[in-house]
Amino acid sequence: MIPYQYNLRSIWVRRVTAIITVLGVALVTAVLAAALMLAAGVKKSVAVGGQDDVAIIMRAGATGELESGVDEAAVGLVLSQPGLAQENGKPIGGGEIVVVVALDKLGAIGFSNVNMRGYSDQSLKLRPNLKVVEGALPKPGTDEAMVGRGILGRFKGLTLGDQISVRKNRPLRIVGVFEDGGSGAESEIWADVVTVRAAFGRQSGVSVVRARLASAGGIDAFRAVIESDKRLGLKVKSEPDFLAAQSEGLSKFLTIMGFIVSLFFSLGAIIGATITMHAAVAHRTREIGTLRALGFSRYAILMGFLMEALVMTVTGGAIGLLGALALSTTKISMMNPATWSELVFALAPSTQAFVTAGLFSVGMGLLGGFLPAVRASRISPLEALRS
Amino acid sequence: MNLPGLAVRNIYRNPVRLALTIAGVAVALLTFVTLRTAVMSWDEAKNYTLKDRLVTRHKVTFVMDLPKNYADDVRDLKGADGKPLIRASTFLNWFGGKDPAHENDFFATIAADHTTFLTVYDEIKIPDDQLKAFNETRNGAVVGDLLAAKFNWKVGDNITLESPIFGARENGEPWAFKIVGLYSTTSKAVDRLTFYFRWDYMNDGVRAEAKDRVGWIASRSVDAAHAAEVTAAIDKRFDDADTQTLTQDEATFFQGFMGMVSSVLAIMSYLSYIILAILGLILANAISMSVRERTNEYASMKAIGFHAKTLASLILTESTLIALAGAIPGVILSYLIVDVALGDFLEYNLANFFPVFRVKIWTYAEAVAAATVIGLLAGIVPALTVARLNVVENLRRVA
Repeated sequence: MIPYQYNLRSIWVRRVTAIITVLGVALVTAVLAAALMLAAGVKKSVAVGGQDDVAIIMRAGATGELESGVDEAAVGLVLSQPGLAQENGKPIGGGEIVVVVALDKLGAIGFSNVNMRGYSDQSLKLRPNLKVVEGALPKPGTDEAMVGRGILGRFKGLTLGDQISVRKNRPLRIVGVFEDGGSGAESEIWADVVTVRAAFGRQSGVSVVRARLASAGGIDAFRAVIESDKRLGLKVKSEPDFLAAQSEGLSKFLTIMGFIVSLFFSLGAIIGATITMHAAVAHRTREIGTLRALGFSRYAILMGFLMEALVMTVTGGAIGLLGALALSTTKISMMNPATWSELVFALAPSTQAFVTAGLFSVGMGLLGGFLPAVRASRISPLEALRS
Repeated sequence: MNLPGLAVRNIYRNPVRLALTIAGVAVALLTFVTLRTAVMSWDEAKNYTLKDRLVTRHKVTFVMDLPKNYADDVRDLKGADGKPLIRASTFLNWFGGKDPAHENDFFATIAADHTTFLTVYDEIKIPDDQLKAFNETRNGAVVGDLLAAKFNWKVGDNITLESPIFGARENGEPWAFKIVGLYSTTSKAVDRLTFYFRWDYMNDGVRAEAKDRVGWIASRSVDAAHAAEVTAAIDKRFDDADTQTLTQDEATFFQGFMGMVSSVLAIMSYLSYIILAILGLILANAISMSVRERTNEYASMKAIGFHAKTLASLILTESTLIALAGAIPGVILSYLIVDVALGDFLEYNLANFFPVFRVKIWTYAEAVAAATVIGLLAGIVPALTVARLNVVENLRRVA
């Protein structure tokens, strides 16, 4: 093998073009890593806080809470089934209603939809992480509402002390701001279930029922009871399963987009690496000839130049990953097609994103360095020394 | 030989590098054009909307509907002078239908009042005999010709759809439709991928509390120039009613939807700048390499009396010419891949999102201009280096 110092020093001699090549790879790697971090961020914020022992009961054909509807009569029936955790002789669980409201975006044109959840004191028992961090918890039975930390200030009216109108002369006043361990609920507006039902004329039922099971393992038995009653037309999902399905579409979209864009971008970086390596080889014909004359094999030359390319692209990859990591506090607001409403999430650094993007930079080095390295390995020592 | 001639000759001195650079510039510009076109297409779709077509919906949320009698009130609205403000109006419901046979393919299913629908959406064309059948068949549906082609549906086919929003029909039967016609359109304001069926058939089948409710009302104002006043008049009409409305002309309505995709569009814009940065790196790399190899020549030229300025402009000319050489295949590639291939594909398959996906002349101009400017910028540092070259030192240097 050729000593690696030879290749490292050769890179240093051509540092300007080397730096340019490294920067190109860094940009591509950062773009891919950022896209994968976005996808991971969606998954993380939607799926965080899902509890194995919480069941969501919704209409059989519904894919989300918005589409689902459970009649008032069915709510009582569901909650009276065996297998639910009890507190003071009553099951822990209750109906929640989910609607979306169109609000004007702040700092961007147009409007978008925000999830509004009508909740009861039971809902709070099912979300142990939820706490009010500013202002106060809305008083039950009033037109008070609280808003998730994520969506706060991103839409007109969604600030503490402000109000949004859901019905003429019935504004909801924002009295509190809550956090829920970074979950999707932080992109929602919460108000009393009775208030929301009245405001939206949904007296006949709720969207879903959430309930705590006596044990996480009891979900199959509970599901069997509910789903066997065809008149109810309901289905049971565990909270983690349900939340995972809610994030699937958007995170898949972001992943695929990330790969397509990075693929095109990487063509540019690969060509950049090839240009650099091509020149590196062309200028060192005599050096390579000497190395061959000294007894280094063609294979050693090939590997040496491939390594030279790899050193540059992996350095670029590392810089790109650092750049992407710097973005990890950035919050993005995007519409989640699964809920038809805005989801605010942070780019989440994940091992998978880093490994994938890192491997991508290795791939760029191999592809960009291969042809010049082959060319180098084919240089005839005699001719090279004669030139 | 004159100086520009020398610049051209210089470009050809390393054919492999030239080919690689041209390929790099072309691919970068292709990516740039694709991203820009995706962003612009959203804006472009707005141009096909009609200023006099008004959409009235629930003020607060799209999940709530309106009483059907609102549609009559909109239709009968009169101005202060007693003259009608609306010349046509219809009402529609989002059905959210899914075909079990095409589980993963989304298509829009809309219940429309068949008696008034075509007066508001007059871009929709249905052959007379099929229109007659639509009027005579209660469970009849007219389907966009592109959607029909996609699913291989034909006139006379019976289709059963499921609706998670409405569940099964009240009588427990499935939602069974008969395709009685295929429609095409004369404008891109209306897509050709929608499944329209009769509103009365839907109303028959829904639960009691959902009966006689409409998702939204679409109308045409008598005078397009005064659409803003008409939208205000409609909303004022229902201001004291139980449910308030929000009426917008089609263009404003569409603009509002931009809010839902604004972050995606912003990301695409950022990406289009990043690809320009990569383009700049490719060009800078190529030109700085060429100049470095020819340092001796420049030193000699200086020694025999060429001005620093002349040499600098020689290098700038060369780098700009390389950028342009890449821009030409870049534009041709963009035309073939984005405008022709991708455009056809998206307009056919994703017309709901991209009713138009064509590269604008402006975008080509932007791409060429960007390449030229970046080519010039990429040459600045090498040009300065050569301009400041120390003749003696460099002639002494062994390359």
